[in-house]
Amino acid sequence: MPFSYYARLTRSQQAVYRRSDEIAEVRLAQPTALHPAVTALTAALATEDRVQVQRASERLIRGLTEALGVAPVQVEVLAARPHAKWGELHGLYTVERGKPPRIQLWMRTAKQRRVVAFRTYLRTLLHEVGHHLDYALLRLRDSYHTEGFYKRESSLFHQLVAERRAPWPSVDAWFRRTPDERLARLASTPGQVARALEGHGERALARRPAPGSWAPVEVVCHLRDAEAMFGERFAAILTMDEPVLPEVGPAHRWAEERQYLRHDATAALAHFRRRRGESLETLVAASPSDWQRGGEHPVRGRLTIDMIVALMAWHDDNHLQQLTRALEGRP
Amino acid sequence: MPTTMEEYAKQPREARMQRLTRTADELAAAIEGQSDAVLSRRPDAKNWAAKEVVCHLRDTEESFGARFEQILAMETDPRLGGPNADRLAEERQYLRNDAAQALAAFRTRRQETLALFGALTPAQWDKGGLHPVRGRITLDGFLALMAWHDDNHLAQLARALEGRP
Repeated sequence: MPFSYYARLTRSQQAVYRRSDEIAEVRLAQPTALHPAVTALTAALATEDRVQVQRASERLIRGLTEALGVAPVQVEVLAARPHAKWGELHGLYTVERGKPPRIQLWMRTAKQRRVVAFRTYLRTLLHEVGHHLDYALLRLRDSYHTEGFYKRESSLFHQLVAERRAPWPSVDAWFRRTPDERLARLASTPGQVARALEGHGERALARRPAPGSWAPVEVVCHLRDAEAMFGERFAAILTMDEPVLPEVGPAHRWAEERQYLRHDATAALAHFRRRRGESLETLVAASPSDWQRGGEHPVRGRLTIDMIVALMAWHDDNHLQQLTRALEGRP
Repeated sequence: MPTTMEEYAKQPREARMQRLTRTADELAAAIEGQSDAVLSRRPDAKNWAAKEVVCHLRDTEESFGARFEQILAMETDPRLGGPNADRLAEERQYLRNDAAQALAAFRTRRQETLALFGALTPAQWDKGGLHPVRGRITLDGFLALMAWHDDNHLAQLARALEGRP
């Protein structure tokens, strides 16, 4: 069922409309490859900093155009949306003869001047990318708002944002919490791990619930070693100007190389507790402007201390759940 | 055999690379046939057991790799973290490790280091970082440091197996 404006189109325009309406999705070969760019965008929006949102938006859009093998598009992120009688403008896609196509996005609402919620922003971004794809990928002569168009936008959205079934708060939820709430979360973790481990013998702690799934002791060792890594990142960010943060691990390589299964969980927890105490000391001593200092991570893009703290809170939630499951023999 | 870092730095690069290439095999020869009890025995309260030396080499190799990645990726000299070997030995429970497995992991990490060194351009060899104790060290300097570090710990390992600190 075409939208009502269909009747006012010329025959050839109607043909373009019908073609657009027939195509219900744009499939990405490897959507997970773009997930880090989506995470970085969440983080950038949380900072409310236009330059960071611009950078993260460019990164995601470039990732999309490269993945789909189409021409690049310029991206411009602007502050407050223009307000007009007919409503607010969220984004705009323009093509002018002799110039590269351009997407403009507004990151603040017109009336409240609040930063747009992540999902709304991503929807808008994908909407404008959708117009670009109509021309560059689907080779349509015009880009209409058809039902097919909206379905394609949704198909991209769902490939980029894997719906979280998990009951614990997601990283972006932690980004919206206050620093104190996040620090309180970090401070409570060693005690929670201790309570979870209580009464379990060494054999139970070294039992993997399934091949490839960590045993409880491996989870504790991972928290300990990740904490040392977070500490190194804080030190690098605080002593250098926008350092490159080397990628380390990956975590499963540490688990194998450092032989986590042979470790004593109680000792590992004691060392985690100590490292966590040191992290908290650093974070409490750091000023609000220190929290906005950052470094460049090869996979995650720019990471500020603020973002790392949210990631740590999420990471704690995640591994506490994993620890509980492992103790119950569930992967 | 050179003894100080400066002497190692004067060696041709190829000789230092050779030193790094031999280390995994020399470690393997040293620990071959030794029981876990012997490998876990500290010569005295302060000095590492043989398996702790192997684990130290494994973990240091990883942290060298991360430093090199940072040095190569940055335009200015990064400030490098200070040494914390004893803390890591305790924290990562080196004494509970299996020495042969630790050696296998070291061997893989070392191959990665050698591959990285093998691919450096002349300009990259001169890139460096700021070490808290030793000041600025170029990648060429790190190759000397690693050659010295290997010899040093191979000797320590041999002593530990004989029960000498």
